[in-house]
Amino acid sequence: MPDSAAYAAYKRRLHRNLLVYIAGLIAFLLLMGWAERHGLSRFWLGPIFMFASVMMYAAIGIYSRTSDPEEYYVAGRSIPPMYNGMAAAADWMSAASFISMAGGLYLQGFAGTEAQAGGLAYVMGWTGGFCLVALLIAPHLRRLNLYTVPDYFSVRFGGRWPRVIAALAAMLCSFTYVIAQIYGIGLIASRLTGVQFEIGILLGLGGVLLCSFLGGMRAITWTQVAQYIVLLLAFLIPVSWLAYKQLGNPVAPAVYGAQLKKIAELENKLANDPAEQEVAAIFLRRAKEYEARLGDIEGALRRERAQAQERVRTLKANGADSAVIVQANRELAALPKDVATARERWTRAMQESYERAKPLGGLPQHSKPFAGDPNGSPQEQEAFTLSRRNFLALMFVLMVGTAGLPHLLTRYYTTPTVAEARSSVAWSIFFIALVYLAAPALAVLVKFEVMHNLVGSSFDSLPPWIAQWAKVDGSLISVADVNGDRTLQWGEIRLGADMIMLATPELGGLPYVISGLVAAGGLAAALSTADGLLLTISNAMVRDIYCHEINHHVTPQQRVILSKFALLSVALIAAVVATSKPAEILPLVSASFSLAASAFVPVMVLGIFWPRTNRRGAVAGMVAGLGITMYYLTVNAPPFRAFFGMAPGQQLWFGIHPVSAGVFGVPVGFAVAVVISLMTKPIARPAALATEQAH
Amino acid sequence: MGELEALEQHDPRVLALKAVLLTVWAVITFGFSYFARDLQFMMGPWPFGYWMAAQGAVLIFIAIVVCYAAIMKRLAPDDSLPDTRESIDA
Repeated sequence: MPDSAAYAAYKRRLHRNLLVYIAGLIAFLLLMGWAERHGLSRFWLGPIFMFASVMMYAAIGIYSRTSDPEEYYVAGRSIPPMYNGMAAAADWMSAASFISMAGGLYLQGFAGTEAQAGGLAYVMGWTGGFCLVALLIAPHLRRLNLYTVPDYFSVRFGGRWPRVIAALAAMLCSFTYVIAQIYGIGLIASRLTGVQFEIGILLGLGGVLLCSFLGGMRAITWTQVAQYIVLLLAFLIPVSWLAYKQLGNPVAPAVYGAQLKKIAELENKLANDPAEQEVAAIFLRRAKEYEARLGDIEGALRRERAQAQERVRTLKANGADSAVIVQANRELAALPKDVATARERWTRAMQESYERAKPLGGLPQHSKPFAGDPNGSPQEQEAFTLSRRNFLALMFVLMVGTAGLPHLLTRYYTTPTVAEARSSVAWSIFFIALVYLAAPALAVLVKFEVMHNLVGSSFDSLPPWIAQWAKVDGSLISVADVNGDRTLQWGEIRLGADMIMLATPELGGLPYVISGLVAAGGLAAALSTADGLLLTISNAMVRDIYCHEINHHVTPQQRVILSKFALLSVALIAAVVATSKPAEILPLVSASFSLAASAFVPVMVLGIFWPRTNRRGAVAGMVAGLGITMYYLTVNAPPFRAFFGMAPGQQLWFGIHPVSAGVFGVPVGFAVAVVISLMTKPIARPAALATEQAH
Repeated sequence: MGELEALEQHDPRVLALKAVLLTVWAVITFGFSYFARDLQFMMGPWPFGYWMAAQGAVLIFIAIVVCYAAIMKRLAPDDSLPDTRESIDA
């Protein structure tokens, strides 16, 4: 097939379509830019971008609709490597990459803080994982002509449990991941159209569903290619613009080194600025107050309540303005209801205040690797070792998790040959790197913009986007005149990681069209990943569980229909969970990497490279790896601890943060699978044959 | 599907190639990151440790995957042939 004339003509046709599509996209942008200059209001631009992009994806979905199982599950295994690479890149780059990563790099610098490792670990982790995918997994799975990742476990190990556990693990990690995507969709849609967060989620979901519901893998592939182009443009245009504005050269990754140096100088200046120190001192005082309250929660709560009631009473007695009384009443009502809530809320407030009382508002110096100091006091040495250890652990988990995430691996089932699966991985990492090399540059350029231009401006002339974003979600941005001097200090700004990318165009003074494009890019990233994940979950439910465990007599066509309805219901459940705004996007995504890493990778790698691995070993390895990871994640999650009445805080092993739980799960999975395989009988004959006869 | 289809036979040359590339990957990922603080000498405007983590490593990862795909085309030319086997419907 790769060399045949028909295949070449097919590829030529695809290239032509792609060029037409890109030209159309640019024409649309220019048209919108022209309309904005001639007075089209912002009020309309956001919704236009939102609906135009969602409708376009839906149109591709409708055009590629199919009920043929081969097309629905693996796109007919006919996607050329470059296009599959683009689709995989869009599938891969989620809301976390697009929305949170540049922001995370802005906040975390090289390696993050002691409390939260991050920074460049994400850049390296999410690209280096493709080495493992290419070398150890993707081509080997492609060779077997499978449909889902649990299929591999069924074919290689036979029996029921390897498949069932793999399917459950695939559902678990994909579901955690999809919640984060839907949260991202809601965030962007509500910002773009000004509707409520919950309605934003429904609007965005409509696009996902039309596409994956109608055409399965085939439709998803081509929408993902379309979405990749949108998200690439949306990422590179603002970065290039900022780089051109600050440095006179739009190729940001090549030139942003100059700004690194200036940021280091500005960081020094800010650390010694008296106004900044004043702000830090105020935060330190607040932290101490919270700490004092935490010493006697019950008493403090009583005192607070009495004070607030007293205030309401005196206000009423003095006949104060009703708005003031309402405000005081609201403060009274906002006090924690019981001791547990008070403890949780005040602990968080105390930690945040302590964090912001540190130099630079708790942000690490941008280009300094790891916190602490290897040559400093014992405490600093400890901080350094822990920071470095957590950085390496996080990177390990992200890389190994990449090699285990089912929605990514199934993307390589769709190439025509094994060799093309390999080159497709190479295309994927290339297309991903285009964005990932620009993300650290964006973080640096935005930081310079904030430090150099925004800090020091007057509170009376703050740019309007600050208030607009604060309205979407108060946790995204808070700017308050802490020391009352009407001038904005660095320490008075608190930005959430999720909004930095989305606010970049406004920060850099770009036309509003670019804001619309960036939001559309974020939407594309979230939608494309959500598409792939929903398909993975519904296929695992229907193909690997329902058709084997519950109803054996399902024709392939019925299976497709069942998959479609499973997809619909999973999407709705995920939407309901996402409306409760569970957590920031990045931690949620990282958790699913730990799960995927420990559930799939050890047993898959052993199964491919070590013939002695048998069914019992596989089951034991998966259960042990997944079990350890889930235990570590839950036992260190604050809500879980509160629920079981355990002391707050964490029980860490070797100081590793729960986000990197997979660092324990992966080796345990390997070890258990090897030991149990050696202890039990080798497989007498290939399991695949046995399962085939069973049907 | 054949007797030993799910148990793949590995060419020792391919395994050696994988081992070499994985070693490079591990050194770049974990070796350089481990010593990042000691590698902050300036390379033009860049501190080397920072540049390596933000850009150098990613470029090397791309090189690893591209090399692997290219060399495998020679080592396993059969992999480029059209697929004649049936899909496995487990």
